[in-house]
Amino acid sequence: MLLPFFEWMESLAVYGPSIYLGPAVNIVHLTAMVLFLGALLIVDLRLLGAGLTQQPTASVARDAQPWLLIGLVVLIVTGVPAVMATATLQYSNSVFWVKMYLLALALIYTFTVRRKVAFADEGRFGSGTLKAVGLLSIVMWLSVAALARLIMMIPANTFEFLVG
Amino acid sequence: MTEFFLPAFQWMEVNLPGGTYLRESTFGFSFLLTAHVVAMCWFFGLILMMDLRLMGVANLRTRVEEISPRLLPWQVVGFIVMTITGGLLFWAQPLRYFGKTFFWWKMGLMVLAGVNAGIIHLITKKSDAAWDSRAAKVAGAASIVLWVGVLALGRLVAYDWMTTEYFVE
Repeated sequence: MLLPFFEWMESLAVYGPSIYLGPAVNIVHLTAMVLFLGALLIVDLRLLGAGLTQQPTASVARDAQPWLLIGLVVLIVTGVPAVMATATLQYSNSVFWVKMYLLALALIYTFTVRRKVAFADEGRFGSGTLKAVGLLSIVMWLSVAALARLIMMIPANTFEFLVG
Repeated sequence: MTEFFLPAFQWMEVNLPGGTYLRESTFGFSFLLTAHVVAMCWFFGLILMMDLRLMGVANLRTRVEEISPRLLPWQVVGFIVMTITGGLLFWAQPLRYFGKTFFWWKMGLMVLAGVNAGIIHLITKKSDAAWDSRAAKVAGAASIVLWVGVLALGRLVAYDWMTTEYFVE
C-alpha cells in the first residue's frame, strides 16, 4: 500500500550524486542517538535505583528532558533522509519494519507512561513500578538501536514471520 | 610508522583461533558489530552526560563531584562490552584493519581520549572547587570532541576509503 510513497521518496534522490553525504548524515544520526540514549539512561538508571541517586528522579528527569528532545529532533531530521535515500530497499526489508513498529511503541511509551512516572513526586509510585518502567525503557530503546544497525546487515527476510 | 606493527598483525591473522569462523558466519559478525555499536551508545551517552555537566551546560541539579563517581560504574559496564566486542571484531580480521588509515586514526584518538579522561580525574581529584574550573570545562569539551571523533572514525572504518598499500579486500 505504501510502496508508491516509498518509490516517490527514493525518486527525490535526497543525497544527489554525493557519496559522502550519506555517511555524514549517518554519523550525525549516530551521535544524536548517543545524546538521546545518554539523556534517557541517566533517568532510567535512576528509576532502577542506580546512578544519580542523591536527588529525586523528577529532578534528574527535568535536567535530562531538553537533551532527550534535542537528541530526538536530530535523530528524526537525519533519519528521514537516510530512509528516503534507499526507500525501496527499506520498504522490502522486514528488519526496517520491526524497527519502525518498535520505535513507534517506544516513543508512545516514553512520552506517556515513562514521562508520568519519571516526573511524579517521590512516593507516588512503588519502587517495583519505577524499576519496571525504567527497565522496559532501556530494553525498548537498546532494541531500537540494535535493529537500526542490523538493517541491511542481516538478511532482509529475517523478521518476515513477524511483519509479513 | 604502522609498519612497525605489521609482523604482529600478520602473526595474528594466521594464528588467532576462530577468526575464520567469525569472519565467515552471517550472524556472528553482524551481532558482534551490533553489540559494539549499542555498547558504544551506552558508554558514550553516559560519558556525554558527565562531560556536559563538567562544561556547566547540562544536569545542573547534580553536583559535579557527584556525577562522575556515580556514573563511573555504568560507564565501565559499557566500556567493557565495547572493548570485548571491538576486540573480537578485530580478532576476526586483523590485516584488513591494518590497511585502513581510519582504523589507526581511531586508535590514536582513543589513546588521546584516555589521556584526557586521566586529566579529568586529576583535575577533579585535587579539590571540589576545581570541578568548576576552566580546566574542567576544557577537559569536558575535549572529551566530547575526541569521542565524537572516535565514533565518526569507527563508522568510516566500514568503508574501504583511505586504504594503504597493505589493504586486502
